[in-house]
Amino acid sequence: MNVITYTGVSKKFKSWPRGKSIQALDDFSLSIEQGEVFGFLGPNGAGKSTAIKILINLIYPDKGSATLLGEDVKNRRIRRSIGYLPENPFFYDHLSAEELLWFGGKTSGLKSQDIRTRSAELLRRVDLTNVSKRPLRTYSKGMVQRAGLALALIHDPEVVILDEPMSGLDPIGRKMVGDIITELKQRGKTVFFSSHILTDIERFCDRAGFLISGRLRVVDRISSLLAGGSTLEDIFLSEVKKAGGGSEL
Amino acid sequence: MRTGTAAFLFCVLIAVHLLTLEEAEQARKTLPTGDGGTYVIPGPIAKILALEFDGLASDWYFLRALVFEGGTYERKEKPRVKSWEWKWFYDMLDSATALDPYFQDPYLLGNSHLTWEAHMIRETNSLLEKGNQHRDWDWLLPFYIGFNNFYFLHDNERAAEYLAEASKRPGPSEQLASLASRLAYKEKKTENAIIFLEVIAKKTEDEKLKKEFETRLKALKIRLLLERAVVSYKQKYHALPPKLRSLVTKGIITEIPADPYGGYFSLDTLGEIMSTSDDKLLPQQKRQ
Amino acid sequence: MTVYWPLALLTFKEGIRNRALYGISLIAFLFLGANVLISGSAMREIGKVAVDMALSTISFTGLLLVLFIGINLMAKDLDKRTIYMVLSRPISRPQYIVGKFFGMALLIVVTIAVLSVFGMLSIIIEKWAYPDYFPRFFWGPIFLAVLFAALSLILLSAVSFFFASFSSSSFLTLILTIMAYIIGQSLSDVKALVEAPQTAGITVSPVTHIIVQAAYYLFPNLSLFDLKIQAAHGLAVSPSYVGWTALYGLAYTCLMLFFAALIFRKKEFP
Repeated sequence: MNVITYTGVSKKFKSWPRGKSIQALDDFSLSIEQGEVFGFLGPNGAGKSTAIKILINLIYPDKGSATLLGEDVKNRRIRRSIGYLPENPFFYDHLSAEELLWFGGKTSGLKSQDIRTRSAELLRRVDLTNVSKRPLRTYSKGMVQRAGLALALIHDPEVVILDEPMSGLDPIGRKMVGDIITELKQRGKTVFFSSHILTDIERFCDRAGFLISGRLRVVDRISSLLAGGSTLEDIFLSEVKKAGGGSEL
Repeated sequence: MRTGTAAFLFCVLIAVHLLTLEEAEQARKTLPTGDGGTYVIPGPIAKILALEFDGLASDWYFLRALVFEGGTYERKEKPRVKSWEWKWFYDMLDSATALDPYFQDPYLLGNSHLTWEAHMIRETNSLLEKGNQHRDWDWLLPFYIGFNNFYFLHDNERAAEYLAEASKRPGPSEQLASLASRLAYKEKKTENAIIFLEVIAKKTEDEKLKKEFETRLKALKIRLLLERAVVSYKQKYHALPPKLRSLVTKGIITEIPADPYGGYFSLDTLGEIMSTSDDKLLPQQKRQ
Repeated sequence: MTVYWPLALLTFKEGIRNRALYGISLIAFLFLGANVLISGSAMREIGKVAVDMALSTISFTGLLLVLFIGINLMAKDLDKRTIYMVLSRPISRPQYIVGKFFGMALLIVVTIAVLSVFGMLSIIIEKWAYPDYFPRFFWGPIFLAVLFAALSLILLSAVSFFFASFSSSSFLTLILTIMAYIIGQSLSDVKALVEAPQTAGITVSPVTHIIVQAAYYLFPNLSLFDLKIQAAHGLAVSPSYVGWTALYGLAYTCLMLFFAALIFRKKEFP
């Protein structure tokens, strides 16, 4: 069953003062199946974050539609089943990690007792137990990222969407996230994540797609992509060249 | 910078600070203050500008008027307060009561000074009328309007109306009602004035004003004594006494008491008691 | 409706943990201390002045709360992108507006309650010092005045939410809300002046008349919630007045939130 679908999604952004517009997504279509770990690749400004935010209903497509678990993304209830970690997340820094997870759990419909159990577990998993009662403003970037990951998982969602989840993490943190992704896959969850770090994509993903200048170029199984002997980097660079030039920014 | 220099500089600065503050404060005392002559924002506009703080604004206006009035007692010149300053005083109290028409203090303060000293009887009455309509539980306001009508405007009818209104409110109702009915008798003017003033003197808390009322009462009681003596003389001799001294020579009274205002009593052609100090006791007597 | 309580609590915590609250509280305590000193200078109605000061302090402090902490609550969300954390939950944009508003209303109620305890204390101290100078003093109208002050601030807060839903900067929202406050408080008095301009010695053109009439229906009439003078003089307030005014406040608040939610639905967060 298709857990995530994009059908002909287009999105244009106008730059206010000068009116120059950027086509962030151009007739973007993609389907992701249950249990898949899908890697989303592309140069900066290619439209990856835009595509992800459309799933969270933070951005509305100009054309086309998207669904999650068969429901239109505009239906807020579907977000009970997804966990989202944005790139460079910001949280109310007066909250402690515990309070953050309480908020996340409660709004996703969890009971207080369940939140307590799951919080303790997750905080242990992301190694934030010692600081769980301190306000987030005292956390390092890496710790904030890990708290964000816990927030995305507190309600045990079916689909986990991660935008650059490794950014700001040291090797220990990266291993932690990697292990979590592997665990999620083993439990049959669907993971959709974007990253620059090609080795991570190679390691964790079943399939990968390249988004360049708003258009989805290659979409294929990792095994197939690497079969011909080229690395992901080679494919990345050649696709960019084919699209006509480097990144927009 | 070395510690020694820093310490020295610090001491110098503190000294300069204290000295200049003292000097500036002294110098400011010689500057004229606005109170007494500044523009008073009229009531309806003050209400708009005060937003939701009307009550506080009315307190402010009242306090300014109060402080100004108290400050005038330090003055040496006569008249103590100029007519435009009384106008300012009135406007301040008018605006204060426009902001909060239930506030009693401005009405009482205005009435204490604007009638006796500033001779602004009608204005005072219209000010008190505002309070009268709003403070419908307060007998003092219609009482004072009644008094002003009786004493200064010689309008006994109006006075009686207001006293009757006052008697309907919680307070010395019987006393007020009986005074209202007495006012029907024009001849009883001095007696009625005494009754009025005794109530007023009792209600006045300001020591200065209390003393003034006591002096007035003394003067009025002396007049009453003299008036009654004139009536006795008429009854006995079927004619008005030719001069005031006659009351003593004919043995009606033992002596002409001294005028507490330092004036000199005499009898006019209609047999009314007059004094050279009449302006102080009955300010508007001649003018009406 | 599992989303409203956590969102309201989140908003409330943010407000109560805001450092600016210390400054605002300090101002309030200074004024209430001054109350004890100043009200004694009145002639006879010391009670009236004491109540004026206490209630004015409560209203003013509440105003500072709405303007400087309240407006920041929405603005910070958008500036610092913390809104992602909220909208990525199963919370719709209208629910976000309503939930945050409940949090703000809770913050106002709690703050006013604490302030009024200290306000009542300053009145009690004055009453103890000058027992004979408190004519017509009843606690009922005073509590009603405090309650209505809270309602007035909640209404103003809803107006600020409406402005924040489309305004591009928090400063603009602040200016618009201040303007709405000033207009809201003075509207009744302006209308009275325009209908009887001779009382202030001015003339008014028919155009001004129409503009004022229109503004009267458009802007929130905050002065309806001002019961300070009634409280200061122990004047009774009819239950029907209380009912109608509270209903007006409720209706206008809902209207503001409705529009805010409507406008906010169009907002995107790239």
